Amino acid sequence: MLKITNLHASVEGTSILKGIDLEVKAGETHAIMGPNGSGKSTLAQVLAGHEDYEVDKGEVSYLGKDLLELDVDERACEGVFLAFQYPVELPGVNNTYFLKSALNAQRKYRGEPEIDAMEFMDLIGDKIKLLNLKDSLLKRPVNEGFSGGEKKRNEIFQMAVLEPKLALLDETDSGLDIDALRVVAGGVNAMRNENNATIVVTHYQRLLNYIVPDFVHVLVDGKIINSGDRTLAIELEEKGYDQIIEESKA
Amino acid sequence: MKTIEQFREDFDNTLNLSKGRIKNIRSKAFDKFISGKFPTRKDEYWKYSDPSSILKLDLKFNDSGSFDNENYDIILSNGKIVKTPTNFKTGSVAEGLDNGDIPEDLLKEEKNQFLNLNNAFAINGCYLILDSEVKKNVKILNLISNDGINQAIYPKLIIIAKKNSDSTIFEEIRVKGTGVNFVNSVTDIIIENGANLEHIILDDHAKDTYNISNVCVKQKRDSNFISHNFSMGKKLARRDFNIELLDTGANCDLYGLYFVDGNNHIDHHTTIEHKKEHCTSNEHYKGILSGKAVGVFNGRIHVHPGAQKTDAIQNNQNLLLTDDAIIHTKPELEIYADDVKCTHGATVGQLDEKALFYLRARGLSHKGAQELLMRAYVGEIINHISNKNIRSEMMDIVLKRLPKGD
Repeated sequence: MLKITNLHASVEGTSILKGIDLEVKAGETHAIMGPNGSGKSTLAQVLAGHEDYEVDKGEVSYLGKDLLELDVDERACEGVFLAFQYPVELPGVNNTYFLKSALNAQRKYRGEPEIDAMEFMDLIGDKIKLLNLKDSLLKRPVNEGFSGGEKKRNEIFQMAVLEPKLALLDETDSGLDIDALRVVAGGVNAMRNENNATIVVTHYQRLLNYIVPDFVHVLVDGKIINSGDRTLAIELEEKGYDQIIEESKA
Repeated sequence: MKTIEQFREDFDNTLNLSKGRIKNIRSKAFDKFISGKFPTRKDEYWKYSDPSSILKLDLKFNDSGSFDNENYDIILSNGKIVKTPTNFKTGSVAEGLDNGDIPEDLLKEEKNQFLNLNNAFAINGCYLILDSEVKKNVKILNLISNDGINQAIYPKLIIIAKKNSDSTIFEEIRVKGTGVNFVNSVTDIIIENGANLEHIILDDHAKDTYNISNVCVKQKRDSNFISHNFSMGKKLARRDFNIELLDTGANCDLYGLYFVDGNNHIDHHTTIEHKKEHCTSNEHYKGILSGKAVGVFNGRIHVHPGAQKTDAIQNNQNLLLTDDAIIHTKPELEIYADDVKCTHGATVGQLDEKALFYLRARGLSHKGAQELLMRAYVGEIINHISNKNIRSEMMDIVLKRLPKGD
């Protein structure tokens, strides 16, 4: 589904990603772990198409297309979804209206008919229960006045409605208490199937107890220094990043 | 100065059309106008809008034209009444003065030269009485139609909301045809004790129109005035709100949205005179500017001696869609009482890049994301309209007239 080859990226002249290679197949879940400042979030942002990041070198192929050639909204319409680490508050933009506009923009892109208000309400009824979100949040402006946990659940709720092929979860666990973490992970797990893939960017092993990855990659200073199965995450938690970095140098 | 001479010629030629009290009022107003000076950019309140450009237009007075549209209760065509409702006390300004419905001092000489000029040409005009204790909705069309000449039009509207009345007035200024228009319009409003008046004023983009518009409101005890002003850029567009809170317990809410693009211009000067204690005012104006447009907002709050417990809030926000658009925004507070609450704020900014990225990351196009954010931006003003139907009608109109971004 996704093949990243020798990806280099920078922001304002500072090199951050220094040669990433990663392949993600449909049905897989990959975790990207690493210390602060290693480039984890940058990788998610670059894949989503943030224009502040400059891709200096490398290729990203997604479902046979050159992902880097697509604009951010085209990537979304092609099924790439970024769950933001810091979801943006949109005063005055009604949450339901926003989500319906987004879904219809994607449907239009794919040549499907737009969904009307009634059908939309039916569609979101089930999804909102999955994320244990209050109905009242749908009527409020997007993320405005939401608690940290509500914002993260709202991200996964959007994901549930938009049904992406490739989900990028950027530190979705940060700021969540254990109950909220279970709900969010439950939502993500419910959506996993053989046709989609998930990349989980996280600092801590904790989230991976709930969203169990098939592969774990350790990202340090813009490069993947170690890859393995989920036991690598447990090892990381025990030994800490410094020791893993030392070991990989040896 | 040729245009000033043309004003005189037009005045002399039309004076005999008036009889009774209005004739005297017109003469006094014209004398005041002609003996004073025409404002220029050297005047503080005209610093960013050049009214002397009007004097280069070679204008001719015109009040001809006819039009009908069943959606409106009152229609003025080039300032002249062509339709009035039968179930209201209404008529020309001259009639209203003679039968005592309009207090004569409403049309006295003023410092503002455009009020004097409008009074000098109060040949037509329309007044409307909103009866005590009654709830009414009135739609008014102020049509400017032009067959391709340089014309001067002086629409005048006088609205008197009697004690405890509760009304909504929708006033639309529409420009049709070709040619250059100088539209010097005045809406005078008196709101008597305990009356509630919601006033919506809407105009359209008209690039060859020079519009000087004044809305003057006198509020009595415990009266309430809610204004929704939707104004579009023109060659020169200036709208002033002059609100006088004359007695205790009066409140006014002024909401405004202005759009301007291309090489056009828009200027709002609002003045709220807090003359007595325990009055409140709340003002929120928002603008969207693009192209090489120039906008001006000057919000004056004047708290007179003794007007204790005044509570005044003012806020002006501006969205600049291009690098070349300019906004001059200035709050002006003059306070002569010591137990008052006055706050003001002004912002100038662009659409939030983070919000645009967030929306696009969900699949909305750049244009779609911009529109959604602008819809939210204007909604904050439009949502104050009390009538649901008018509110959604205004949202549709406003969305069509939004300036285009980059």
